[in-house]
Amino acid sequence: MKRLVLFLTAGALALAGCGGSSNSNSTSSSGSGTAGGGNVDITLWEGYTETEASAINKLASEFNATHKGITVHVQFYGNNDYALQKVLAAIAGGKPPDISYLYGSWAPNIVANPGIVQLNSLIAQDPSFNWNDFWAAGRRVATVNGKIIGVPALIDNLALVYNKKLFAAAGIAAPTANWTWSEFESAAVKLTNTAHKQFGWAYVNDASEDTVWRYWAMLWQAGGAILTPDGKHAAFNSPAGVKALTLLQTLAQHKSIYLDNGSGNYLGLFTSGHIGMLWTGPWDLANITASKVPYGVQILPGDINHQTISGPDNWVVFNNGSARTKAAWEFLKWLTSPAVDLKWATMTGDLPTRESVTKLPAYKQFVSKYPGVDVWVRNLGNATQSRPVSVLYPKISAVVGEAIQSVLLGRAQPQQALSQAEQQVNGILAAP
Amino acid sequence: MAAHALRRPAGRSRGHPFKRIASSDNFAGWAFVMPAVILIAIFALIPIGWSLLLSLQANNLIAPGHYVGLANYRALFKDHQFRSAIGRTVLYTAIFVPVSVGGALAVAVALNRKIRGIRFYRLAVFVPLVTSTVATGIIFLWLLDPTFGLFNYLLSLVGLPQQQFLQDPNQALYCIIAMTTWGWIGFDVIIYLAALQGIPADLLEAAEMDGASRLSTFRSVVVPLLGPATLFLVVWSTINALQLFDEIYVTTRGGPLGSTTMIVYYLYEQAFQFFNGGYGAAIAYVLFVAILLVTIVQLWIGRRRVYYSS
Repeated sequence: MKRLVLFLTAGALALAGCGGSSNSNSTSSSGSGTAGGGNVDITLWEGYTETEASAINKLASEFNATHKGITVHVQFYGNNDYALQKVLAAIAGGKPPDISYLYGSWAPNIVANPGIVQLNSLIAQDPSFNWNDFWAAGRRVATVNGKIIGVPALIDNLALVYNKKLFAAAGIAAPTANWTWSEFESAAVKLTNTAHKQFGWAYVNDASEDTVWRYWAMLWQAGGAILTPDGKHAAFNSPAGVKALTLLQTLAQHKSIYLDNGSGNYLGLFTSGHIGMLWTGPWDLANITASKVPYGVQILPGDINHQTISGPDNWVVFNNGSARTKAAWEFLKWLTSPAVDLKWATMTGDLPTRESVTKLPAYKQFVSKYPGVDVWVRNLGNATQSRPVSVLYPKISAVVGEAIQSVLLGRAQPQQALSQAEQQVNGILAAP
Repeated sequence: MAAHALRRPAGRSRGHPFKRIASSDNFAGWAFVMPAVILIAIFALIPIGWSLLLSLQANNLIAPGHYVGLANYRALFKDHQFRSAIGRTVLYTAIFVPVSVGGALAVAVALNRKIRGIRFYRLAVFVPLVTSTVATGIIFLWLLDPTFGLFNYLLSLVGLPQQQFLQDPNQALYCIIAMTTWGWIGFDVIIYLAALQGIPADLLEAAEMDGASRLSTFRSVVVPLLGPATLFLVVWSTINALQLFDEIYVTTRGGPLGSTTMIVYYLYEQAFQFFNGGYGAAIAYVLFVAILLVTIVQLWIGRRRVYYSS
């Protein structure tokens, strides 16, 4: 129990510059990078495990073998959740990596840090990089107030995954791309069977961002917005917001939603046939495929549109002198080029980060290797809006998370919950 | 000077001053504890000092902070969410400490006899303590799942209504109390078992010869002799209860609807989810002072009430 307090203080200590980062040999050879003419060593930090870990190492060796003068050293930094603290400690200690994988939600927090390299001019000078080829959702999250702080490393979105067997047993036709909320709602109710402990749908109900982002997708589908266009006031307390929350309320009252407490139990319950539909991303696909449950994938049902929500992450470049920045940029250009991006996707099952990848001949192999994944890829076109890119967003998310939870638990009416949340969010946004 | 010379043990007074220090008992003692002292200094004392400075800053743990005096502390006293977190933590502690210490005494007495399979029972009590908190949390999430959990199944067998447990804002805190008691009681039992076995047999014999019943022997002989162990366990459990975090983090994450947001979980949210590092450090310091005061009071009461046999 004491560990956390210690952790807090240790984190503060590290950030203050006392924390020697635990990175090894390759960063200590920082001199060689700027020596000119010789080989440039750069370090990439990542938190991948299993398939993705071997894929990144494979691609890095391929790059090293084909690019004379640059050597990329891949270093595992542990859990992605703590990457920000480690990277910041390394900046303070004067030995940052050259490239690091960072969550997209951290972009507004790091933009002011002088240790990161803003990529605007590099991108502008290099038309072959074709920045606009990246999915818009990825570009938006990598851009803070016009400053591009990273290159999209991963891009997800939510689609509808359903159990074909349960649909057939309930006599419901498979969802189409034009499915409406009311069709979705009646399917969820029909798929519910309390005696058999069967639920139509699952919703993560831990009031975390996992609870909130699914709701944002519904809000957008009903034509609502999170904040006003100037970003200064809450806008979710609207007819669209109430409509979306009422859909959740209705399904919860019908006991059609399995309320997951945040531990991810929904996945095992879906693969064992206790849940009819999920709104989830490609990260669950490997487990679903492995379970042999007969599944289908479809874009989300819609109200006035079928928007989805995307959660992109970034490769961020850190300043270790111009020679190393140049080498890091060379590597990222190569890594995110359409052909290599497709290789990565085929090895890992991650979605391609660029739209043009879908036009490559080998894209067919990727789709046949991961049945259903093409729906998520196409669905990226439905990720037309993003969450506010703001340091205040986590606080906004916490307030809205509680509002959604209070409705799911039957403690509040949608209108009442949203009015209260609106008031709190406006307070957060107004604070100096 | 003379006094100093007199204190010197005979036979050790000669030679180089450094050698004198090196061969003294003090030096050996310090040499033995030095590794621990250094580690504690690095991993505890320096961070403790640092977080005091941090608590005086507006610091998002990302960019360098700036000093704001006592503003974080002033904000804390107006923060009603912090006040609710204190209320919940006090309620948790007020139930957890007596239940776990009292329960441990009962279990220890039950385990302190020679019956078949006693090693197995003792092991069974101790196993939860060595099980990782994360594993405990995940197991309880499943056991307490409203639809698929074992507990609701058992309730249905005897015809009792189904409960929401961790998903009910009115029940979650009590589920956490039960879960943490289960997880931590093994430690208390071990301490009590050791203390029970240290009770001199002649005292118990004397009580028996004087015609004391088993109950009054327990009340008037055993319980007072367990005083030092009880004092230790109460102080230790209180400190732990006031710092409850891991179990919350892996099960309810402070919910539902904030009903299990304890002081340290609130600190975690502020510092690591909302990036209010200075504010989080201020919470840590308020908690630190509170724990210090509670412990001093407990020890002061203990000194007056606890009987030390030796």
